[in-house]
Amino acid sequence: MASSSSTNPGTSMDDEVVEGTGKRPVLMKRSTAAQFFSKDDDAERPNEPPSSTYDIVVELLNNAAVMQKSVDKIANLKKVKELIVHNSPDLLDNFLDEMLAFQTDVSKDVKKFIIGFMEEACKKDNECLPKVLPSIVMLLADDDVNVQKKIILTANSMFKLTLSWITKAKKSRPEMTEVWNHLKELKTLLYEMLESVNDGIRTHVVKFLEGLTLVCSRRTADSEIPKKNEGDISLDQVSQTNGIAIPQKLEEDGRKAFNSLLQFQSSPHISSINLMTVMNALSNIAKQRPDFFDQVVQSYEALHVNLPPTLAKSQVSSVRKNLKTQMMGLLKHPASVDFLQQISTLLTDLGASQSEIAKNMPKDLESRKRKATQEPSASYASKKHKLELDEDDDGMTPWVDRSSKKAKPEPAQKQTAIDVTAEDILPRLNPQNVADLVLLSMVMLPDAMPAQFQSTYTPIAAAGTETQISHIARLLATQLTMAGMGKGLGELQLQAMKQDAKAVSATDDQPTSPKQTIQTVLGLKTEEQDEPVIKKPKMSQLPLPPSSRKMKQFQLSSVTRKLDPQISETLSSDAMKRIIEAERAASVGHVEQHRVKLLASLTSLSGESHKNALQEHIFNDIRGRQDLAFAWLYQEYANLHGYSTSESPVTTPTAVGRYDECLTRLLVGLMELDDHHGDILFHKLLLEAPAITDNAISVVKKYCAVAKCTEKGMKTLSQLINTRPAKRGKFLDLLLEFSGDEKVEVRNVAIETAQSLHASGKMQEEIETYATQQLKKLLQTKPPVVKSEAPVEAWTEDSIKAHLYLHLGLLPSNHKLIHELANIYTATSADIKRTILRVLEVPVRGMGMDSPELLTLVENCPRGSETLVMRVIHILTDKAVPSPELVERIRDLYHKRVPDVRFLIPVLNGLSKSEVMEALPKLIKLNPMVVKEVFNRLMGSHVSSDSVYHSPLTPVELLVALHNIDSTKCDMKTIIKAANLCFSERNIYTQEVLAIVMQQLMEQEPLPTLLMRTVIQSLSMYPRLIGFVLNILQRLIVKKVWKQKKVWEGFIRCCQRAKPQSFQVLLQLPATQLKEVFEVCPDLREPLLAHVESFTENQKSHINKAVMAVLEQGSETLTEVKDGEKNITASNGNDREEEPATQKSQKIDSVPNEPVQKISTVTAAKKTELASVKISDLDKTGGMKISVQSGEKDVESAKEVRSEESEASKERRRERGDSKERRRGDREGSREKNREKEKEGSTDKDSRDSSKKTTSKSSRKDDTDAEDSKTKSSSSSSRSTKTTSSSSSSSSRRSSSTTSRKK
Amino acid sequence: MADDFKIAVICSSNQNRSMEAHSFLSKKGFNVKSFGTGNMVKLPGPAPDKPNVYDFSITYDAMYRDLMQKDYELYTQNGILHMLDRNRRIKAHPERFQDSTERFDLLITCEERVYDQVLEDFENKEKNDEQAVHIINIDIQDNHEEATIGAFMICELVTMLYASDDLDNEVDEILQEFEHKVKRSVLHTAQFY
Repeated sequence: MASSSSTNPGTSMDDEVVEGTGKRPVLMKRSTAAQFFSKDDDAERPNEPPSSTYDIVVELLNNAAVMQKSVDKIANLKKVKELIVHNSPDLLDNFLDEMLAFQTDVSKDVKKFIIGFMEEACKKDNECLPKVLPSIVMLLADDDVNVQKKIILTANSMFKLTLSWITKAKKSRPEMTEVWNHLKELKTLLYEMLESVNDGIRTHVVKFLEGLTLVCSRRTADSEIPKKNEGDISLDQVSQTNGIAIPQKLEEDGRKAFNSLLQFQSSPHISSINLMTVMNALSNIAKQRPDFFDQVVQSYEALHVNLPPTLAKSQVSSVRKNLKTQMMGLLKHPASVDFLQQISTLLTDLGASQSEIAKNMPKDLESRKRKATQEPSASYASKKHKLELDEDDDGMTPWVDRSSKKAKPEPAQKQTAIDVTAEDILPRLNPQNVADLVLLSMVMLPDAMPAQFQSTYTPIAAAGTETQISHIARLLATQLTMAGMGKGLGELQLQAMKQDAKAVSATDDQPTSPKQTIQTVLGLKTEEQDEPVIKKPKMSQLPLPPSSRKMKQFQLSSVTRKLDPQISETLSSDAMKRIIEAERAASVGHVEQHRVKLLASLTSLSGESHKNALQEHIFNDIRGRQDLAFAWLYQEYANLHGYSTSESPVTTPTAVGRYDECLTRLLVGLMELDDHHGDILFHKLLLEAPAITDNAISVVKKYCAVAKCTEKGMKTLSQLINTRPAKRGKFLDLLLEFSGDEKVEVRNVAIETAQSLHASGKMQEEIETYATQQLKKLLQTKPPVVKSEAPVEAWTEDSIKAHLYLHLGLLPSNHKLIHELANIYTATSADIKRTILRVLEVPVRGMGMDSPELLTLVENCPRGSETLVMRVIHILTDKAVPSPELVERIRDLYHKRVPDVRFLIPVLNGLSKSEVMEALPKLIKLNPMVVKEVFNRLMGSHVSSDSVYHSPLTPVELLVALHNIDSTKCDMKTIIKAANLCFSERNIYTQEVLAIVMQQLMEQEPLPTLLMRTVIQSLSMYPRLIGFVLNILQRLIVKKVWKQKKVWEGFIRCCQRAKPQSFQVLLQLPATQLKEVFEVCPDLREPLLAHVESFTENQKSHINKAVMAVLEQGSETLTEVKDGEKNITASNGNDREEEPATQKSQKIDSVPNEPVQKISTVTAAKKTELASVKISDLDKTGGMKISVQSGEKDVESAKEVRSEESEASKERRRERGDSKERRRGDREGSREKNREKEKEGSTDKDSRDSSKKTTSKSSRKDDTDAEDSKTKSSSSSSRSTKTTSSSSSSSSRRSSSTTSRKK
Repeated sequence: MADDFKIAVICSSNQNRSMEAHSFLSKKGFNVKSFGTGNMVKLPGPAPDKPNVYDFSITYDAMYRDLMQKDYELYTQNGILHMLDRNRRIKAHPERFQDSTERFDLLITCEERVYDQVLEDFENKEKNDEQAVHIINIDIQDNHEEATIGAFMICELVTMLYASDDLDNEVDEILQEFEHKVKRSVLHTAQFY
């Protein structure tokens, strides 16, 4: 806006002045009315060139005058302004009065605009000033604050303009004096307005004063003048010659303005906005007039420690921020070099970082060098010294730098009162003085922390350093100077008196300004002093005495006398009693809080009797009065730490004792209180108490030892452990101590607590260490002495367990501990080992089979800990199938390190078949109980039914394996015992199973020694197996059973047992063997003979003659026997042929008696089932076995089966068709073993059931169809031999044909 | 309504906080402008360390199109496009406070750093001491929600300040009242153009 007028004011103004002087006299003579006339005249002359503008202006003005709306008015006036100020300045003079007339307008906006216009007009033409200034002075008295503010701001430029106007004038004119006087008036008014009630006005006045200061002072080389203000006038441009504006006078004015700013800044109740404005103003002054730099910095320092107490918190932060910004700005200024120390300290206090500070002093070095070169007058020596310093320090240590500077430039940098005082104070800052000072200032601390102290306080970073001490000295000096004290001030005053008037005015200000601030300064001083509590200056005798005189405190002790101790005691306890009794009254009056507080503090201060009284009172109604208890406790604690004002703040042993006593009292009281509520409070008290003393811990210990409280006690303990890190160790020790307690309840709770603590991940290490220590104590020969008990001589089970439980309890949460246990285990005595094994179960189960640590233990198996490992394995596999990993480890262990077969037992189920087989001989040699367990495991009887169980051996395989054990590895008796164990498991070794076993055994070559024993045993267990047994016997004959002596003996025994059914079999024996049989068992002969004789003739004819001979005579010649042998081969076929015949007959024959019939139906049904089973299991076990099995089963469990039958009947019916077909197929092409077998099973039974009934009918059948019988014989022969070869069948055919031929 | 009471709302990028307040205040009829104090306009990018940086001269519309083309999904989802869309309806492009020569009666900054920068700018700017201006800082976090809340607060404050007959005189009290009301602390200072 104003740029055009201010770009080159010097020349333009000159022009204007010249122009103006030429023009003005004419115009000035015109009256206002005349002007109007002339205007009118002008308007009436339309053709005149300027008239166009002129006319417009006139019209605009006229319109504006009648307009109602201020907005429109302003719009018009704006146009006018544009026209007369910028477009045709020659008209300005013409219309100035008209424009000024608008200043009386009602609208403030119009007024403001006019003020703006005035300023511009004056800038344009200084000759306007005489007209404008009176208006300005008048407008300053306007009602509207905004107009006033505008005037204040304008006043500044008016001042500048006037000054330059006056200065530029060749000689003074009367109107200049007039203007100048107006200005003086204006200044006076403005100074008054600094006290205005309006914040905004004050703010603007500050701005004016800033401008005034700038104008009334001299620019120096390092003044930083903003570009825009480059052309502003300043004192150095004012010529001496002018009679109106005298430079000295002006300079004095400037100082006055500056000082009033300083004073304003330090006024106690300055508002934040004023404060910030004045700060900004000061900083501007300092930058533009470096002469004032030191004072500004000092005032900032003073301000920083003396922020007005009226500021709100956020205002404090705004002000501090502003202060920081301004300081940074100052720091950038080259003149800051001399104040680096102060500024950077202040900035650090304000929270600026070193880097920030460093960043803002870029010109530092350069300017200093410049300064150094500018210092020619200094003595050579000092200069050299200084240069050296500069080179050495290179600006790194401002302190040193500053001191050297300070010593030198006495004239260059004015030493102010503060500097002098600071220097005076500095050496006196010794610890003794500082301590005194701190103590003294304590008395004067305010009750509440003032807001600005709270927000401004920053911890002292470099406490105790040289720098900090000097900083404090400065701070104190600032305060002292503010208070009008100190050496520096005195010196300065002395100087001032000696010096000229200029100096007088400076010192004049200083004593006057403190006068009004003194009160607040004293109040604030206390704050300031607790900030640098650490190092305090001794203030010397100079400052302190006056302050202490002023602060003479009321001392209670000086006006009272001591009471007789007894009387005071009585009085106090009476008072106490009354307060205690006033409970109701207090609650009615709503002063309970105060009562509680009162009681608490009184009790904490007084003696035993009061405590007892209070305690009694509390425990009378513990519920209602718990807050009292807590208040008491906290009061004691406050005393202990000196928080309370009523006690000396020193932590004395008695204070500790009193807190301890209070806590213990309450705890014991609560413990003894046999009340549920007491327990809760006990808990609460412990958790909420500010500190737990050792005595309190011992109370807790006692409390926990009481069985019924243990649980709560432990809970408390564990919470204490969690929440009180300081005493955690002690609590933990206590807790762990309880884990070895003799009382089971206590111990269990403690262990549980420790476990949960451990599991929660806290204090793991400590707990484990303790547990391990406990464990290690087991290695000692005697149990450690517990408590006060008499030392125990030996370990008892209880004492062992006491040491074990904690460790074991931790096992599930930290598996690694098992190794420690194993180590201890190997080293301990047998008793302890036994105990360990006994208690091991639960923790090991808790760890589980998959625990890697357990597996490692198994893998490593420290020497001596085999039993432990074994036990562990047993526990693990007791109810579950061993995991492959475990099996693997154990297998390794067994093969590589400890070849003890017992290791294998628990994991038998996890081993492979061959491994079990291999281990079997060793296993059965073990103690019978163990063997039994082995078998149980193998047969899976120990596993619960729902678990997935896969034994490596089926029962069949097991028994077979037993039979096959090499007798060199294991003697027969052991095997028999083992086999007996099998037989005793009747629900596993059912007749089916046994049948399969026998079947398998029979197929072996050579026959197992124990075969016949097993057969006999099976038979005796399951008499229904007789048919099967007979079958076996027959097959044995084929296998020439007599060649193996043992088996042969068994065979005979078996026949003996199985008689009379075995007669058939016996008859098939060759005569020699039959004879042998009779030799062994003579009692067989007679019944056999009788049996034969009951045969029909036809049947008899089939019997070998040699056999008959043996039968009849019992003794035959050898030749006969041989003869018979030959015959037997032939007769075999015959005999065999006989059997199917009997079957046939039975089938045809409907059997009369009930049981048989039943069986036969069952058989029929079973046969079908059998077929189905066979199909399904064919490839697995071989159809043959199965068929036999099921064939047997149907007989044995006929009744059960029948019930089942109905359910399965559908299926069976379906399958029956298949099986029938298949049987038909069998008959036709019957070479396949299994099919044959199936038939055999069924036919066996049939034959067995109806063996005796095979009489005439069978023979009839024989007669009827020779062909049929032939095929039958072939099939039967193949059936009996099992390993049917075509040759044997053909031989049997041959034999049958021979018999028929004989017939 | 309030033409002669000129307000500027200033944040760092002249995108979110200042624009939200700008939009809100202008709806209320205030004579408001908005500025940023940063060197560049920064908008969130695909990762925290990869912001989208624009010059202050780039129009909101150009930014909108640029981001839409970059990753429509992402910038729709984080609300940047929506914000830019709003901004381009208010004015053409972001403005940098330091480059502006306009004068205001009230400056509101949204962050302490911005407040500092504004003050610094006042230090550096040429001034004539003709007009006072109040600078008030209200800390607002730079996200959409806080910006909305902040706009409400600013509006409330501005309304209170506008209602005052003698702002210079009453500003301290108004601010204290406001602080108490919104439970936030504000920084305040006065400067002169």
